[in-house]
Amino acid sequence: MFVFVKKNFPSFFIVALLFLSACQGDLDFDRQLIVGAYTAPREALREINRAFEKKWQQEKKQSISIKASFLSSGAQSRAVKDGFGAQVVFLALDSDVERLVEAGLVDPQWRENTPHQGVLVESRVAFAVRAKNPKAIHDWSDLLKPGLTLVTPNPKTSGGAQWNVLAAYGAALRGHVHGFEATPQGAGNFLKVLLRQVLAMDKGARDSILSFERGLGDVALSYENEILTGQRYGKKYELVLPKSTMRIQNPVALVKANLKDPLQKELAQAYLAYLFSQEAQSIFAKHGFRPVLEGMKNKFSEAEDLFDISFFGGWSKATRDFFAKGGIFVKASEGARTDF
Amino acid sequence: MKRSNKASPAWQFSGSGLRLIALSYLVLLVVLPLSAIFYDGFREGLFTFLENILRPSAWAALKLSLWTAAVMALFNGMMGTLTAYVLVRYDFWGKSFLNTIVDLPFAIPSLVTGVMLVALYGPEGFLGEFLQEGLGLRILFAPPAIVIALLFINFPVVVRSVQPVLEELDPSQEEAAATLGASPWRIFRSVIFPAIRPATWTGVLLSFARALGEFGAVVVVAGNLPLFSQTAAVYVWGEIESENRLGASAMSIVLLAVSFLLVLLVDWLQTRRRAVHAT
Amino acid sequence: MLLKKTKGFKPLLITIVFVYLLWLLGLPLWTLIQEAYQEGWTKISQELFSLEVLRAFGLTLLLCLSAVVFNGIFGTALALVLVRQNFRGKSLIFGLLDLPFAISAVVVGYALILLFGHGGILAGMAEALGIRLVFSVPGMVIATLFVTFPFVVRELLPVLQELGEEQEQAAATLGASPRQIFFSVTLPNIKWPLLYGLSLSFARALGEFGAVLVVGAGIAGFTETATIFVFRALEERMYAGAYGASLLLILLSLILLISMEAVKKAKN
Repeated sequence: MFVFVKKNFPSFFIVALLFLSACQGDLDFDRQLIVGAYTAPREALREINRAFEKKWQQEKKQSISIKASFLSSGAQSRAVKDGFGAQVVFLALDSDVERLVEAGLVDPQWRENTPHQGVLVESRVAFAVRAKNPKAIHDWSDLLKPGLTLVTPNPKTSGGAQWNVLAAYGAALRGHVHGFEATPQGAGNFLKVLLRQVLAMDKGARDSILSFERGLGDVALSYENEILTGQRYGKKYELVLPKSTMRIQNPVALVKANLKDPLQKELAQAYLAYLFSQEAQSIFAKHGFRPVLEGMKNKFSEAEDLFDISFFGGWSKATRDFFAKGGIFVKASEGARTDF
Repeated sequence: MKRSNKASPAWQFSGSGLRLIALSYLVLLVVLPLSAIFYDGFREGLFTFLENILRPSAWAALKLSLWTAAVMALFNGMMGTLTAYVLVRYDFWGKSFLNTIVDLPFAIPSLVTGVMLVALYGPEGFLGEFLQEGLGLRILFAPPAIVIALLFINFPVVVRSVQPVLEELDPSQEEAAATLGASPWRIFRSVIFPAIRPATWTGVLLSFARALGEFGAVVVVAGNLPLFSQTAAVYVWGEIESENRLGASAMSIVLLAVSFLLVLLVDWLQTRRRAVHAT
Repeated sequence: MLLKKTKGFKPLLITIVFVYLLWLLGLPLWTLIQEAYQEGWTKISQELFSLEVLRAFGLTLLLCLSAVVFNGIFGTALALVLVRQNFRGKSLIFGLLDLPFAISAVVVGYALILLFGHGGILAGMAEALGIRLVFSVPGMVIATLFVTFPFVVRELLPVLQELGEEQEQAAATLGASPRQIFFSVTLPNIKWPLLYGLSLSFARALGEFGAVLVVGAGIAGFTETATIFVFRALEERMYAGAYGASLLLILLSLILLISMEAVKKAKN
């Protein structure tokens, strides 16, 4: 027995090392680019990346590989900050990019240096309801019907969830939620009773809609594009756009600190430009995102009252006001479980 | 018996070289990462540390983790001991299969465990539909789901802790007690349990400690509502992701401290068991 | 001979255990198989046989082998040191042994990032040595070693204790070197628990998810393990791939555990 083990220990090592090299190397590509993205654009980005690889191969006669990592927006931003070498980030909201600016990884001028102020795609906060809308849900106030249950992701980890919270609060503050005063207090109250209806808070927007698909909850609060993607996969739920909702804008930026090599910089810039091309934007549109190019926007219906993050004074203020210790959301979610 | 290891130092595995290697592996692998967390959690002093633990959502998460883990561990202790007893004392069809199946939860990725439980207890699942329609019970996305997930994952711990001790235990005592007319319950209480008690407690405490840190399965089935169904491990994860490192580290330290004390307790129990065994 | 009273107990207890196991382990597993079956095997094989998935399984295998090799060597060494040597602070080390069991895998990944990540406590050191320990395969190896650490040591400790050192001493008296003693006296005596501990390490490494996800960021085709693939496939509604890969993972560890039992039986 011991001879066997003794003889085989070195070969164990060799096998292990072989695997190590097999898994680490990507020697078959001339250049590669890593994109760190949030979870909603998985399908769209995969299609776009393959298209861009093919295009580059045809034009430059070089084989390239665009790799992508998909984590919740906050997790992705934190990973890049902690040293994950993504060269392009595509995140759910600006504050996750701003975190990288503060860490000195992204150029403070990223908005000016990217087309469309760095907004790659748009979406809306919307509701997914069961087929034929059995609970007759048409607007925010319908969500408070007794016995109705909601799913929405956890704002601590999901960018989509933060959009949802702001949309609900904003709709109330703008006087579009029946029965609640258009004041910060009224909007806070609405948020509190809304959170009381929540059945589960999954870690990301995608997990949340998947839970809904497994039969949980009567309504899922989600990105419009998530609901449309689900429908593309044959899921039988319906999309309801409330009368007042929020314009979601998802930013893209280059991570300057991870672009040291000029060749890679060239590739990253070409990729970024491609993301805003007609071709890439129509792939996004196919997967339910609202394109940012003029003339492509018309296929989606629009809410009566649309507001964006500037209504809350920008993301850095909104993050502080809502999600920091003692913020509006934190108070509302603690109040939802304690005061009745 | 007096050990005579000093008499023959030439052969002993007492080389300080070996000790150095083994201990540095332990330090590098286990101690170093853990001290990083301690350092991080206390970097702004004890007061901030306490404040981070006593916040309503943190405190509720800790309480939830402790009670679900405790309920699971006690139940697991009972059923695990029973399973071990049946596996050791009885011969029956399918026994060796059963014995192998016991380790299955070790082999299933905890994420997959979560997915299986959602499929089973979800509104469209086989048991979920039955419980919801028939009894009006909702298991998924509520604390019961946490207990079930923890039970699944920790099932082997008690069985594998009790089994070897039972194997060593001579069945003739049980038989003698039975011939004297003792009831099965009495036999268990006064003959079997005293012998396996330390092993059972070891399993119970170990599964409790494991349960405190369980993440992959719990995050899928719990629903994760702050103050209701969010466990401490899920809370830590949320705090990491939302860059409240202090809160994450503080809670991790509490979990670590509880586990560490438990593990020391287990160790003490095992030493005692050995002492009992030796006499 | 047992009395009738206890005899009637046997079927009852066996039934309870069977029902319990059926409910706790059998039903969930059956549900998984059912779901996979509904997707259809052709679809499963379609989604599983891609370069990315093969790579994911390759990486998982690498992590498992690392766990076996490192824990085999260092775990055995540590068990020997803890049982055969006396030194101060030993009981404290016993307390440390099981800690990896009790720590959330996410925290493990987080601790590694605190240490070696950008601006981390030891980031400078790792950089000076030219190794990338976070968001890379080596970091994932370390995370896996951490979570599998206790298995071998825990299995070996009681056996070594019970074994005593008489045989080892006898061999030493006959002039054997420590190396010879280990390989011809100690190792043959502990090989079964060692193998058991190693296969548990292997199985645990096979299933690890949280720690490797945090440390590796789960880039498809690069730092994606088989479990991270399951996670991704679920997110992308590739249910066939997700259930197929899960079943494959379970099957792999089951084969491992069953063959362990079989070999053990044959040897006895």
